[in-house]
Amino acid sequence: MSRTTRLRRSRGALAVTLATASLLISACGGSSGSKDPAVQAPVKPGQKVDLRFWSWVPGVDKAVDKWNATHPDIHVKLEKIPAGSSGGYAKMRAALKSGNAPDLAQVEYQEIPSFLLENGLVNLSQYGADKDRSKFVDWQWQQGVFGSAVYAIPQASGPMGLFYRSDLYKKWGIEPPATWDEFAQAAQKIHAADPKAYISTFPAGNSAWFTALAWQAGAKWFGVNGDTWSVNIDSPQTLKVAAFWDDLRSKKVIKTEPDFANGWYKDLQTGAITSWVSAQWGDAIISGNAPQTTGKWAVAPMPQWTKGSNVSANWGGSSTAVLKGAKHIPEALKFAEWLNTDPASVDLLLQGGYGWPASADGYKGSSLDKPSPFFGGQKYNEVFAQADKSIDTSWKWIPTIDATYQHLNDGFQAALAGKGTFVSAVQQAQKQTVEDLKRKGLKVSTGK
Amino acid sequence: MATRAPRRRRNLAPFAFVAPFLLLFLLAFALPIGYAVHQSVMDVEYTGALGLGGSHTVFVALDNYSDALSDHAFLRSIGRVLLFAAVQVPVMVALSAGLALLLDSASARGVRFFRAAFFLPYGVPGVIASILWGFLYVPGVSPLVDGMRHLGVSVDLLGGNTVLWSIANIVTWEFAGYNVLVLVAQLRTIPAELYEAARIDGASAWATVRYVKLPLLRPALILTTVFTIIGTLQLFAEPLVLKPVSSSIDSAYTPNLSAYNEAFTNDNYHLAAAEAVLLALAAFVLSFGFLRLINKRGGDA
Repeated sequence: MSRTTRLRRSRGALAVTLATASLLISACGGSSGSKDPAVQAPVKPGQKVDLRFWSWVPGVDKAVDKWNATHPDIHVKLEKIPAGSSGGYAKMRAALKSGNAPDLAQVEYQEIPSFLLENGLVNLSQYGADKDRSKFVDWQWQQGVFGSAVYAIPQASGPMGLFYRSDLYKKWGIEPPATWDEFAQAAQKIHAADPKAYISTFPAGNSAWFTALAWQAGAKWFGVNGDTWSVNIDSPQTLKVAAFWDDLRSKKVIKTEPDFANGWYKDLQTGAITSWVSAQWGDAIISGNAPQTTGKWAVAPMPQWTKGSNVSANWGGSSTAVLKGAKHIPEALKFAEWLNTDPASVDLLLQGGYGWPASADGYKGSSLDKPSPFFGGQKYNEVFAQADKSIDTSWKWIPTIDATYQHLNDGFQAALAGKGTFVSAVQQAQKQTVEDLKRKGLKVSTGK
Repeated sequence: MATRAPRRRRNLAPFAFVAPFLLLFLLAFALPIGYAVHQSVMDVEYTGALGLGGSHTVFVALDNYSDALSDHAFLRSIGRVLLFAAVQVPVMVALSAGLALLLDSASARGVRFFRAAFFLPYGVPGVIASILWGFLYVPGVSPLVDGMRHLGVSVDLLGGNTVLWSIANIVTWEFAGYNVLVLVAQLRTIPAELYEAARIDGASAWATVRYVKLPLLRPALILTTVFTIIGTLQLFAEPLVLKPVSSSIDSAYTPNLSAYNEAFTNDNYHLAAAEAVLLALAAFVLSFGFLRLINKRGGDA
């Protein structure tokens, strides 16, 4: 309930929505950074250490309060920042540039390479971070590992499933689609049953979502071999996903409004949007923004490309990293580890809706591990627990991912305006991404 | 020797008076511009796939400028603000002048109230204004769009062909009142004898406007036009705030937005600096070009 009230927004509060729209888009992250050991301020016994921590994750304030209450020697001062994509990273990069960065910060998995390229993160291996490895889900731990060094402590991820309005589906005699073919059929049926209703929107301005769909289809956009990056955004798998949505768009059976925007929230409330392929943390978005639809939603596994298979993907996911310039790295590391593994802390974060825990066995016995009244009494996190085990964990990110997202956003938006298609947007983004990497002076190859 | 010392003292005096200005000018103007220009001719090179091998800044001459000028999105953004300016500047100046003349007309009632009402939007920060108008543009939420649909008019105020003019509407709403105030202040300085003389000559209200008020309003009109040209090129907050609710605003919708994204999203500070310098040059050329044009046409005004 606390999650619901915390996230509730009135439909009229555009100001609030615009400011916080993407607060939860990737509700899991973290960062860490510090100077070289040589410039560290030594801590005398009994001295109180102050740490600054930048984060936007809901529930993190309560976890920090708990830490401060139980750790009188290390005081963490939480400073709330906008979610990464809405300016949080811009603020961090500017702070790093001016040498005024906080000790710790929230960094999403896909951003870790960008921050490394800016020389913004502290190598935590030097401070014994490797011993924490067993406490986390392995693939999430690997998101912060480059070479033999650990640069981030994982916090949460976003295994994906299908949220849908079970009441409306039942009314119209539609089964939750198990495959993407069925999804396309359901899209037509829903729009035929009610001309105002759509199966979902294609959020042209949110390519992170599209990326997750390509991830599920088996695409591997990026890889690294020695110091040469490989870029394969326009692989057949991605083009298949783009063509799929091109088809639905041309049939006008999906909406094309932006997600996490007022119109979209309204559509969630009124049933104009009847389903959402999203990450586990989407539960808090729906229950927080459409509280009056309690009991009408349910969760099914993500639609599959091959009938009977069971492949999911990850959307969002973030870590706690120590930023370059941190004065007390060992203490910062200690806090980052506590924040993301201590059962009390994890539970507070879960209640806030931060996503799927990165700590091993974080789900079992947590507040997620029980039936939910909002989702009609379904123990819906079982679906995500299963999805979490079905993610291709070899996915890698490049240091210029934000630019890639922008190319895709711009291309998708142009397609909506009648210039090109989603497929051509993907092909264009491939070329532009190669250019981005070359611009940074990095080596790039295309093709496998 | 005896005569040289006093002369030097005399020569130094003007500098002493100008020094505070020069200092401020250097600190607040020349230095940042110089820094931006310097940044725009440098670039960073990284070693290793993740830059873990270190990075160093190198001199690249005009590479960033050629990159910026060969970027279609950036060029389109410049074209877009020029189109915007071509419409916005005349509309803004005509509207402001019209409102100012109405306020100034002898028969206007409630002048103080209307002056305050026109000026009020200027007190609202651009970001808040954009949020406010954004609310009125989003279909399904906006009483405006819904009301028009009930009347049978279906408009998409955030669509590809309309959103630029939706932004123009916000900008006009925000700044027209400010320009009105500047123009009204100029109108107040016109001596009453001129009106009296015009009346005695039998001039109609329209003739008074045409032959007395407008010519004397010229300096203020030029000023507001230059302000509007510069403000238009700097278009930033409105598209940035509307971006999340419109699918038609891309990351390089205006040159300023493009520079912002290059700097803070893509970490290309040097390319962003080049784009910013290009934008400053465009604003310089256009506003001084306008002044040259005006002065050539009627130097005595």
